[in-house]
Amino acid sequence: MDGVSFQVAASETVGIVGESGSGKSVTAASILRMVSPPGRIVGGSITYRGLDVLAMSEPEVRTLRGDAISMIFQDPMSSLNPVLRIQTQLVEALDAHEKYRGSKSRPRAIEMLRQVGIPSPENRIHDYPHQFSGGMRQRAMIAMGLGNDPGLLIADEPTTALDVTIQAQILEVLRTLNREFGTAVVLITHNMGIVAQLCRRVVVMYAGQVVEEGPVEQVFARPDHPYTEGLLRSVPRLDSIRHGRLYSIDGQPPQPGEQTSGCPFHPRCGYRIERCASERPPLAVLSSGHRSACWVTQAGGELGAATAGAATGGRRAPALGAEVAPLLEVRSLVKHFEIGGGVLRRTATVHAVDGVDLHVGACETLGLVGESGCGKSTLGRMVLGVYAPTSGSVRFDGADIDSADQSHLRRYAQMIFQDPFGSLNPRLTVEQMISEPLSVHGIARSAAARKRVGELLEMVGLSRRHASRYPHEFSGGQRQRIGIARALAAGPKLLVADEPISALDVSIQAQIINLLQDLQAELGLSYLFIAHDLAVVRHLSDRVAVMYLGKIVESAPTAELFANLLHPYTRSLISAVPVPDPRPQARPPRIVLQGDLPSPTAPPRGCRFHTRCPIGPLANPERRICIEQEPPLDPHRPGHLAACHFAGEAPAIETRNAMA
Amino acid sequence: MAQAGAVDIVRVPDRLAFTRNRYLRALQTPRGLLGLGLVGTIVLLGILAPLLTPYSPTFQIRLQELLPPSGTHPLGTDELGRDLLSRVLNGIRVDLIVAVVAVPAAAILGCLAGLLGAAGPGWWDTTIQRAFDVILAFPAIILGIAVAAILSPGERAIVVTILLANVPIFGRLSRDALISQREREYVVAARLIGVSPVRVLFRHIFPNVVDPLIVQLALSMSLAVFLEGGMSFVGIGIQVPQPSLGNLLNEGLPYLATNVNYAVGPMLTLTALVVGLNLIADALNAGVLRR
Ligand SMILES: Nc1ncnc2c1ncn2[C@@H]1O[C@H](COP(=O)(O)OP(=O)(O)O)[C@@H](O)[C@H]1O
Ligand code: SF4
Ligand code: SF4
Ligand SMILES: [Mg+2]
Repeated sequence: MDGVSFQVAASETVGIVGESGSGKSVTAASILRMVSPPGRIVGGSITYRGLDVLAMSEPEVRTLRGDAISMIFQDPMSSLNPVLRIQTQLVEALDAHEKYRGSKSRPRAIEMLRQVGIPSPENRIHDYPHQFSGGMRQRAMIAMGLGNDPGLLIADEPTTALDVTIQAQILEVLRTLNREFGTAVVLITHNMGIVAQLCRRVVVMYAGQVVEEGPVEQVFARPDHPYTEGLLRSVPRLDSIRHGRLYSIDGQPPQPGEQTSGCPFHPRCGYRIERCASERPPLAVLSSGHRSACWVTQAGGELGAATAGAATGGRRAPALGAEVAPLLEVRSLVKHFEIGGGVLRRTATVHAVDGVDLHVGACETLGLVGESGCGKSTLGRMVLGVYAPTSGSVRFDGADIDSADQSHLRRYAQMIFQDPFGSLNPRLTVEQMISEPLSVHGIARSAAARKRVGELLEMVGLSRRHASRYPHEFSGGQRQRIGIARALAAGPKLLVADEPISALDVSIQAQIINLLQDLQAELGLSYLFIAHDLAVVRHLSDRVAVMYLGKIVESAPTAELFANLLHPYTRSLISAVPVPDPRPQARPPRIVLQGDLPSPTAPPRGCRFHTRCPIGPLANPERRICIEQEPPLDPHRPGHLAACHFAGEAPAIETRNAMA
Repeated sequence: MAQAGAVDIVRVPDRLAFTRNRYLRALQTPRGLLGLGLVGTIVLLGILAPLLTPYSPTFQIRLQELLPPSGTHPLGTDELGRDLLSRVLNGIRVDLIVAVVAVPAAAILGCLAGLLGAAGPGWWDTTIQRAFDVILAFPAIILGIAVAAILSPGERAIVVTILLANVPIFGRLSRDALISQREREYVVAARLIGVSPVRVLFRHIFPNVVDPLIVQLALSMSLAVFLEGGMSFVGIGIQVPQPSLGNLLNEGLPYLATNVNYAVGPMLTLTALVVGLNLIADALNAGVLRR
């Protein structure tokens, strides 16, 4: 991090955006002088309400932390002590400072929990952190940070590990805090949507430097730095027309510590001019009113000219599935896991997948969405025979999958994994990994295999000379490409992609999405695309299935689904996605779902969504049918299935020109 | 965070380098080199024993009992007039067999047991684990006494004790490693490709779990040497007249006041071997595991 400067006014909300390694978190940590060695604050100044933070003594800084300024982190478990009750930890944090000491601390702790939306805080305050769900832990941590009425709250990726519905709850908490108590918020995130929805000002960082800074409306309406533009344009959006291809920023973000001369973004910039490679642009105020560090825009140049890499003729139209037998057909699939057990514990049954029907045609993409824990991965793994179904059947390419002979399945159906680090064997070279399917299925050996590995690497955008390298030598996005090459090696017909981009940096996600689309058009692949990001699913899929607690609750062709949302859960999911557009008219009324996903060990009776449904028995007590009868997944419009007794009747949400 | 653009920065010359160099690099530290030096010297002495001394370890030289060290008998002689250097050097050989044969055998058996546990049904795994618990509850020397009582003292009792004491250690280590690895995505990926279970085990999982096993191997060897010493010292291990470091120590003890050289030879050798193996285990642990 290098020469970063920005201000936060009282009661302001500022978003700091950038990729991993861009220096966001270090910036935040330096505000509280919490930079861990070997990092050092070598220069500059930090001023809080006129006080010089760098000149303070250690006790003074400690008072500042938690009292005037507090910080919350991405992983609440790292800041909550697992062996202490929530109450103990909250009270401890309060006792450390003047304001709510002694007898005042417990009532204050309960009040804080209530404020962040923990139901019945008097009881839950006695819980241990592990008894809280992920969202509740995050809220408990915010409560801890807010106990002493700090003037400034620094939130470092506070919702990155959470589902959109829970994210919406946390963002609501932050918004309320800011609005009602005047707490200034510095929000560190990689999600432009969150910035647009919550912040007044945005600071964009790249390679440890601020590259653009200004009021959110201005920056979003007219980004004046190519990197900001890339971030805004490379993310698929729910409120835009679907394009064939995403704009993508080429290349990789620089390695921390890597020295670049000139503009740090120039190796990846589509607008670069000669000067960019040698001289570093200063952060200067532009005519638009915000600050940007770019030679081109400072000279009055306009952005928006660079286009998404060569568009490859768009997508191949999927074969219409009516007459042709689908490639993959899943019938009444069920998977129950027995957990626990042992001498004194009772076993519990996790209803991970509970009666799912779906099909994927040739060259088709079926998108599967739902909150984490709803059974998406379990379904994907059953389709590929990793888990044996408890009941139900999977037919692939005209034959039932049975455990006896899976060689056809192994050759023609493959998986792309979420974790680009865990899914590659660290002890094998790229060539050894990619050539394994070739030898296992007797496709090619020695020289022929080597040649094929080279072709595969080039197909996924890597180079032949990478073949002898080990996985640890590659970045996340490159590893994901290796995983894709391995999946493609034996010439599959179906790829199950389980959250293939959610572990990647924003600017890399678009690259992988484009790659998957290109490969589909080139090779005629079918995808079962699993994700929790609705915008990405909408961008990629021909049809979408929405899953809730082990069941499909709605499914339809993509355009139909987004034009006519029938199930209240789908509506809630969509309304929870923060749209990267700060204009007030772009902000739809939100349905913030209450509570968390119920435990799949005891799914609610009747309609599984009734404990959270905005139009169900919670809002309309007379709708007992939702509790008593499970709604069947029935067609309500041509090709559009929904499992809801009151399908189509939903709280009014502006349809955000949801043209698919 | 170190994930960006790494391709052209890190260079690995060939595929063996990555796997092999880890161990070499770990051993090329002061600790590692000292350990290798100690162990290497003693192993050489043991192997070359017949060349280094003209006397047989059991040959009794008349009227030459309990000599102090001299040019002809660098460590002196014992109460029966046998050359002590020859006895110590030949004593090393027992420990070499114990360390180089019994411990790897225990490691292999242990890994097989771990594999069986991890692969079998739950009750089966539990049974094996409980059996391991029971064995591990006894100090190795107590196991040794029990084994010697059943099998009668001797080399066989030592080897069986070492097997008994080490199989559960390796069994547990390999089972836990297997269980932690087999749900990993790279293993699922290999299975999805259609790689056979045996090949998944040896080509994919094994290279990822071998490090702790190697470190344990060095540790177990040092324990085995110690155990041989202990058992022979209390008379349930190697029986006289065959020399071993343990029984030499025992025999030398009564002469500590008059002939210090008697006990010092086996003592130093035993200590050097145990310390050397420990240093190697330590260096590997620091250089390979804790990184
Ligand atoms: N191997 C397993 N053993 C026991 N429970 C499991 C296992 N795999 C998944 N589950 C449970 O099944 C439910 C669905 O999980 P998963 O399919 O991973 O959901 P998703 O991919 O949608 O996040 C979760 O409650 C999870 O804890
Ligand atoms: S200074 Fe040049 S390289 Fe940097 S962002 Fe602007 S145009 Fe691109
Ligand atoms: S069936 Fe009832 S509870 Fe379920 S989604 Fe429809 S309205 Fe809501
Ligand atoms: Mg999953």
